[in-house]
Amino acid sequence: MYMKPEGKKRIWAEYQKEIPDDHFFYVRSCIRQTFFAGSEQCFLKILRDDLGKDVFEDPRHTTCTGIGYHGDVVPFETIQAVVARHFSLATEAGYKHIAISCVTSFGIYTEILETWKHFPETLERTREDLYKATGRTFDVPETISHTSDIIYKFRDQIARKAKYNLVDINTGKPLKVVEHIGCHYSKMFPKSGIGGAEFPHVLVGMVEAWGGDIIDYPERRHCCGFGFRQYLVQANRGYSLFASRKKFESMEPYRPDLIIANCPGCTMFMDRWQYTIKEMDGISYGADGKGIPVLTYEEVAGLVLGYNPWEIGLQYHNVQSMPLLRKMGIKADPSERFLARDGSRLPEPANLING
Amino acid sequence: MEDLYSRLMQDIRFEEGLKACMNCGICTGICPAAEYYQYDPRRVVDLVQTRNNDVIRELLKSETIWYCGQCMSCKTRCPRGNTPGMVIMALRKLSQELGYFTASEKGRQQFAIKRTVGDNVLKHGYCVVSYDVDPAAHPEQGPAWEHYYNHMDDSLARLGGELNGKEGPTRLIPDDVLNELKSIFKVTGGQDLYDAIEDASEKKAEEMGMEFKKEGRDFEYFRHVVSADNGSHQSEPEDVRKDVYETRR
Amino acid sequence: MKTNTAHIIVAGGGVAGMEAAGTLAGMGYRVTIVEKGDEPGGHLLKWHALFPDRRPAEEVKDYLRKHIENRNINIITGTTVEKIRHHGGGVLVNLSGGTEEKADAVIVATGFDLFDARRKEEYGYGIYDNVITSAELEGMFNRGRVVKADGTVPARIGLIHCVGSRDEKVSNNHCSKVCCVTAVKQAIEIRKMIPSCEVFCFYMDMRMYGPYYEELYRESQEFHNVNFIRGKVSEASVNINNRLVIKVEDTLAGRPLKMELDIMVLMVGMEMAGAGMKLAEASGMKRGINRFLETTDHHYGNNLSGIKGVFYAGTCTAPMNITDTISHARAAVAETVRYLNGR
Repeated sequence: MYMKPEGKKRIWAEYQKEIPDDHFFYVRSCIRQTFFAGSEQCFLKILRDDLGKDVFEDPRHTTCTGIGYHGDVVPFETIQAVVARHFSLATEAGYKHIAISCVTSFGIYTEILETWKHFPETLERTREDLYKATGRTFDVPETISHTSDIIYKFRDQIARKAKYNLVDINTGKPLKVVEHIGCHYSKMFPKSGIGGAEFPHVLVGMVEAWGGDIIDYPERRHCCGFGFRQYLVQANRGYSLFASRKKFESMEPYRPDLIIANCPGCTMFMDRWQYTIKEMDGISYGADGKGIPVLTYEEVAGLVLGYNPWEIGLQYHNVQSMPLLRKMGIKADPSERFLARDGSRLPEPANLING
Repeated sequence: MEDLYSRLMQDIRFEEGLKACMNCGICTGICPAAEYYQYDPRRVVDLVQTRNNDVIRELLKSETIWYCGQCMSCKTRCPRGNTPGMVIMALRKLSQELGYFTASEKGRQQFAIKRTVGDNVLKHGYCVVSYDVDPAAHPEQGPAWEHYYNHMDDSLARLGGELNGKEGPTRLIPDDVLNELKSIFKVTGGQDLYDAIEDASEKKAEEMGMEFKKEGRDFEYFRHVVSADNGSHQSEPEDVRKDVYETRR
Repeated sequence: MKTNTAHIIVAGGGVAGMEAAGTLAGMGYRVTIVEKGDEPGGHLLKWHALFPDRRPAEEVKDYLRKHIENRNINIITGTTVEKIRHHGGGVLVNLSGGTEEKADAVIVATGFDLFDARRKEEYGYGIYDNVITSAELEGMFNRGRVVKADGTVPARIGLIHCVGSRDEKVSNNHCSKVCCVTAVKQAIEIRKMIPSCEVFCFYMDMRMYGPYYEELYRESQEFHNVNFIRGKVSEASVNINNRLVIKVEDTLAGRPLKMELDIMVLMVGMEMAGAGMKLAEASGMKRGINRFLETTDHHYGNNLSGIKGVFYAGTCTAPMNITDTISHARAAVAETVRYLNGR
């Protein structure tokens, strides 16, 4: 609105990082697996089936222990060795490019590689530790990317295959989209994020390639409030709620149709806290005043490509996506949301927003 | 008496995180914790750079160092190249190593994090496991999660996963892999930190006259640390210049 | 060799260059000023009023123009000095445009560039309306109107000190010295122009080092109601009413605060001029860690380059105000003359 896009374009041009074209070693996210399992599978399907890429997953990979590390119960030396073990698995399988599903992980892998670069003795120490503990050796990977970087890289190919766009078919106008970047994506090392830390481009690029309009609002860069221990421990959860609420109140005047996030934690919190705020205070946000659907970028990519929303897991959000689907012209039968393995209907949850 | 500042300097995150602070406040200006809690990262760093043992010991025992949410927004902006968030991480580590964390209400919560996230890592190979996120303990997760939790097999099957399956999301991490993790924790000091948290917490529970169990979460001390709130942590908005400043909260 | 048939080239026609050239010409030397702009004057051409007493910049511009009205001076505009090397007993100077000039000595007066505010991305310069630099504000003073981008009168203006200075994130650890007093001056000027407009200066330190600077600071508070908040602004964004929203800590109160502003003025610092850097690279002139030209001794050799026949004048060596630039240029002349006499 009151902005000069040339200024942002100049910044984006300066922060272009190298994202590989193919042959990725995929490491999953604790939060994404738990709360958005459909998202991870959607990412793999898009890359393998729609784009013909090689994405390899070794089932022996584990958590990176990032939540433990930022919860201050796991030491830095330990997490370096755990991550090095993943590098060892990648080396074994012959992969040089890591595709990381979690944003906290991405931040940690970046922090570790930077530490090894500036303090080579820490790399030596990690080699010793890993060898002593497991007999493993490893090569330092050539690149690490967050999986949103990869979808960003292929956003135009996805756009060409798009069955639906981020456009309101009733008005012909682009949807108004809030893009939320996980703090650990680029706040620590701005050069490691597409577009840097102040005006990250990774989600903007996707949204615009798929027809949507981006909203800038005062609290855009504010943390969603995960805060690790601030959510993990019940007594601290007010912090987490407060942070998300601040963002909602700041974006509200712009009446967003959708929030897209690249961090699984952020996606989860901005969905859960909308539910909580509605229960506590009866307040809802968004273009329809009935809540703003919060989607992972994988879910958005999946919708654009025409995947069945219920097979990628949109029904497992508290803020249901029906208003968004209607705007995009996606026909999805709400009665098919909650099905058992055998296709029978499960009892529908009550109190969903837009349920 | 041990020199705490030297001890902090051994932590590479501290070495990276603190060069010299000129008190510009750019970190506090952007800090989510400073908005919500009685917390000021600038003041913490300024205290630490005195290098004074007594000052640092007070910090290690205080509530103050537990308010940070580790968003690292401070790292992006500091004109001296400091990172209060990393200074906090080093302080928290030292506080736990020395047992000081049990002196504060927020610090005692580390026990809960160890018993949940910490134990999950070695028992399951994940920080968070879906079957552990009990809707009863997490009402904020809402009806969508409650449904998913109660129908996990069916829901996961639809999404292309299998709880404790061979591969895919929420697969079972096999024992040999868990043993590698355990070994890594032993070699790198991770197990030592877990033990330090357990030992200090057990002592504290005894001191507070609360029931303590060596496994699990169903006992008085655990329930206490996850829920206790003495009401003194949050900031009070005393806006002296209401005409100009927006309220901070 | 008779000293007053000597020819000196002055690289740069800003304040230092004009002062040095006029002083040399007045002593009978032949001088060539090489100036990259269309006319001499440098940054001074942009200013409206000068600290500390807010006297019109025009008066100093007039002095300098008259100072170089001398038939011993030849001015080449639209040109930079690209390389200086020794030749015979003197120097050979390559100019952009391809020509070469011979001289007995060179005074390098290539000056400073203002920090490019776009590099502080978090302030949104070049992206959000109403984020302007101190130089642009001075331009508004010249035009007699301080208004928002939409032409309306501002109700609150914030001046942000230390933009591009004292900041590792943009590789400028140095203090640019004059921005604090400039901010106080500009704050007073805004208050006088628009009595209804609130003015806030966001500072880390108040570096009021020069004569009457500290008094100006006091005057701004006592008579002009300028507000001072000690805290470096962390970020700016825009809300739905097109007002800027800034986040900062009021460090003296020890609490974070958010505030709406109509206009945010970035007090941009000084950096070694780009043209000067190219010249230094090409000619083997040493630069210090702050990227300005390094002199042979910062106490008593502050105009000396360590290269025979090459002398430094003005802000190519360090941030300085106009008074000190003029003095520094005169000192460069003294060093040059001493050198020429001693050959």
